Amino acid sequence: MLSYVVRRLATAALILLGASFLVYLLTASSGDPLADLRASNAPNRQQLMDARSQLLDLDTPAPLRYFKWLGGAAQCLVPFAGNCDLGKSVTGQPITEALGIALIQTLTLVTGATVLAILIGITLGIVTALRQYSALDYGVTFMAFLFFSLPIFWVAVLLKEFGAIGFNNFLRNPVIPLPVSLGTGIVLGVVVAVAVGGEIKRRLISGGVVFALVTAVMVYLSATLWFKTPGLGPVVIGIAGVGMAFAVTTLVSGLKNRKALQSSLIMAGLGVISWFVIQPLLAQATGLMIFLLAIGTVLVGVGVGYLMGGYDRGQSMRAAGITAFLVGGLVVMDRFMQAWPTYFNNSRVRGRPIATIGAGTPNLQGDYWILTIDTFTHLILPTVALILVSLASYTRFTRSSMLEIMNMDYIRTARAKGLSERAVIMGHAFRNALIPLATIVAFDIGALIGGAVITESVFSVHGMGFLFLDGITHIDPNPVMGVFLCVAITAMVFNLVADLAYSALDPRVRIKA
Amino acid sequence: MRFGRISQAVGVLAIATLALSACAGNTGSPSSSSGGAQEGGTIGVAETNGFSSFNSGTADGNSDVNGHIGYATHSNFLYIDDKLNIVKNEKFGKYEKLSDDPLTVKYTVNEGVKWSDGTQVSAADLLLTWASGSAYYDDANPEKKTGTTYFLTAADTSGLHLTDFPEIGSDNRSITLKYSKPFADWELALGFAGNGGIDIPAHVVAQKAGLKDAQALVDLFKSVKRGDPAAPKPVNAQLKKVADFWSTGFDSKTLPSDPSLFLSNGPYIVKDVVAEQSLTLVRNKDYNWGPTPHADEIVVRTIGGAPAQVQALKNGEVDIINPQASADTVEQIKALDGVQLLQGKQLSYDHLDLNYSGPFADKDVRTAFMLTVPRKDIVDKIIKKIDPEATPLDSQIFVPAQAAYADSVKNNGSSAYQDVNIDKAKQLLAGKTPTIRIMYNKDNPNRVDAFSLIRESATKAGFKIVDGGLGKADWSAHLGDGSYDATIFGWINSGVGVTGTPQIFKTGGGSNFNGLSDPDADKLMDELIVTTDKAKQDELQTKIDAAIWSTSYGLPLFQSPDVKAYSDQITGVTAMPNQTGVWWNVWDWARK
Repeated sequence: MLSYVVRRLATAALILLGASFLVYLLTASSGDPLADLRASNAPNRQQLMDARSQLLDLDTPAPLRYFKWLGGAAQCLVPFAGNCDLGKSVTGQPITEALGIALIQTLTLVTGATVLAILIGITLGIVTALRQYSALDYGVTFMAFLFFSLPIFWVAVLLKEFGAIGFNNFLRNPVIPLPVSLGTGIVLGVVVAVAVGGEIKRRLISGGVVFALVTAVMVYLSATLWFKTPGLGPVVIGIAGVGMAFAVTTLVSGLKNRKALQSSLIMAGLGVISWFVIQPLLAQATGLMIFLLAIGTVLVGVGVGYLMGGYDRGQSMRAAGITAFLVGGLVVMDRFMQAWPTYFNNSRVRGRPIATIGAGTPNLQGDYWILTIDTFTHLILPTVALILVSLASYTRFTRSSMLEIMNMDYIRTARAKGLSERAVIMGHAFRNALIPLATIVAFDIGALIGGAVITESVFSVHGMGFLFLDGITHIDPNPVMGVFLCVAITAMVFNLVADLAYSALDPRVRIKA
Repeated sequence: MRFGRISQAVGVLAIATLALSACAGNTGSPSSSSGGAQEGGTIGVAETNGFSSFNSGTADGNSDVNGHIGYATHSNFLYIDDKLNIVKNEKFGKYEKLSDDPLTVKYTVNEGVKWSDGTQVSAADLLLTWASGSAYYDDANPEKKTGTTYFLTAADTSGLHLTDFPEIGSDNRSITLKYSKPFADWELALGFAGNGGIDIPAHVVAQKAGLKDAQALVDLFKSVKRGDPAAPKPVNAQLKKVADFWSTGFDSKTLPSDPSLFLSNGPYIVKDVVAEQSLTLVRNKDYNWGPTPHADEIVVRTIGGAPAQVQALKNGEVDIINPQASADTVEQIKALDGVQLLQGKQLSYDHLDLNYSGPFADKDVRTAFMLTVPRKDIVDKIIKKIDPEATPLDSQIFVPAQAAYADSVKNNGSSAYQDVNIDKAKQLLAGKTPTIRIMYNKDNPNRVDAFSLIRESATKAGFKIVDGGLGKADWSAHLGDGSYDATIFGWINSGVGVTGTPQIFKTGGGSNFNGLSDPDADKLMDELIVTTDKAKQDELQTKIDAAIWSTSYGLPLFQSPDVKAYSDQITGVTAMPNQTGVWWNVWDWARK
């Protein structure tokens, strides 16, 4: 095992060296860095050309320049020495500093999107696999491929037009016209009727209920101008909490495990109580506090599950823990909604909260809630755009993997011995279906650092992709090499991690050292 | 398969959405309020590039956005207005020509003009500006690779290089420059006009370079002799330290923790910078030595693409945009409510140059070729989509924004080339069918269009046109190498100043790629660069313009259009062709 890792790392280092040499030469010979000045009619044309030649060290041939660069880059290997020198860009900025800024921008943009895309993609993949060849399966597949094949710059521009500009205009007077409420109700009702499966009667009833509920909620939201002063309140949290308790228990242990259900319901109740208790504390919130509260909430849930006991204590603990986390999330979401009017009316926001560019409102001041809402309003559109286009691969991958597993012999055995369908899916199929996903998720993390070049440029986020493109347009190898190093190293490390994880997850795969 | 019909339906729906999104213009935007300008408030401006340096005069800091921030945070003896006139700012200080021969200019900063740390703007600051912009100390010889270039400036040093070491006034607020020969652009010589002028504080540079104070810096400048590239001396370590700090010490993508690195002596001061995202300017509270600003705060947002700028304007995130001009951008802006579109012309222009060699050595062939160039069609095809009022450019030297353009155009001979005249061209060719290779940047669609139109028309007169288009990375390296007979590319008129003229048109000029050598024009240009009087300069330039046209040089084609837009919630924004752009009157911007 160890020798395998060492061998892989050694090959990785050699590949990195060779690839960096190639990339450097390709970038350096991709054009003429003086092209614009050659055609210039500025009286100091020669002086400017000399200055740029000096800055980019153009008198040294590119292969030699690579070794100069390598000399600086090699110092990065010495830990804590702080001599890391990846050169400077055309504007004189050290690449190490530029990479620091770009990496943060890219990570804030793509992390959330990737995590959500994985979660949603896997869920959809499982559901479509279980309802293979149903209308739902075809619908999801079609939508996934549709979004996959849409150009992201166009999706992004549409999102800005309707999601930001249109929605902001709507917020000035958030009244939903009745036809829109009815229309949304009908659409969602039809979707649910198609999705639930089963007999026609069951479908009609489910669809009808959803239609009525959605329309009623939308009419209510419109009549109370909810979007101006949104909020959930203890009642909604209570109802949603009970719903969540049932849903989580169904998935984790099945409703037959009464102790687990009771633990979950207790957590829903505690959630409502905590809503009243915790408000003064939340007024002083910081990011760390929310994080600690989340951990505390889960621990309380686990504790309640433990105390409830029952024949399978573990299941109760898990169900209660997850429910606690979700209900806690509702309480926090409610607090964000309470802060919304303050944010909305802030003089910096000028009543147009959803942003089309950047990562934050400049000079915005406020507490944790205001600043976090600001981050959300800036990230929501790029995140949605990225999720839409990357959903397809996760959905399809999970679906096929799940289908393969569901046709395995051991699944038939599990059913034959009388296990409930829930236990078969959650306990036997689902986990094994996730194994192949470990590989694509690891690959995607490598790609994630490389940045979402187009999304970045449409939403004016100057991340890794921008740095890379900017280097290419200025025929400046230094930024390109900086980005290349980061991406290449992450990709290689995560490839290795994927291989190791695969062998750890799937006992059939063994690493031969 | 069940799939078919549904997928078709959704496909049609998707295409319909696509089509609709193209028309989704008027879904409402901020309602316009009437009324005049008011004091205070915040104004958002979009910039294409990210801010990177508080010294916009250096070779690596000389980007558009750095120049704009430099302009808003610093003062100068003059600024350039949207009619391309020089406007003196006598509240800051005055410059006066003491004598014409030798040309002697005295610069005096008014008392009470201060950096934002309270230090008076002094002779030391003027001296540093002079030292960095004169290449006085440089003894670098690029051919032999000897000597040193101290200050890495982006400014043209040819003017100040003619001066001796300045005389410092006894009040310590003035310097006097004496030129060894008259210099036409003397008014623009000191300070990088359009970028801020007197923008780097000497006392800060002195301290950062390890000197005691500004006086020590002045003494250092005095102690070092003029550099001579023919006889390079060893590097002066202390001066190099000063110059290096000047060249790179003010580069920063974020707000430095040391406030001395972003001192202001202009209407605004930088308050905050978020790297590659935004920059915030607030009023410089001491400032009373120039036009008074209205807005309290200006937020500069970095937005790269033109569509993103338009959408940010629509969503109220910025109030002023200056996107790259294209027909689509103009359409998008026109579709917005509550937004004013400003259409103007940039100082850059496309032109067709004919080599004075090869098949074009014969003047009649050049003239014949010029007669075939369909300039009006080119403008119609390329520019009218963006600017319906566009016309061909009729001067080799002036642009319409300059007062002298109209007079020059009347007599420079351009009238003969208003319309295509194939018959006359055929007559001049007298049966010859010269083969002409036209070189241009084939990655630039405008140049490709211009080439196609010229080829079509010239072929009718009997020219055989060879397509010599090259990729965007290659074409400029071939300028002047004789591998082509004609070329289509762009130049930038300097707007103010005349030293750009000999650079292009003088025998052996640095950008004279087609080998023009006209003794009369050369003589006029020799006179021009030592003429210090504006009216006389215009007169000479008008003569030069006519002389160039009469040699059948080639043709100016059109000026690039310029597109700006601003929300009608603000006032005071005007079109400005030069690199300062809308920022030229930043003090007039106000919220309604």
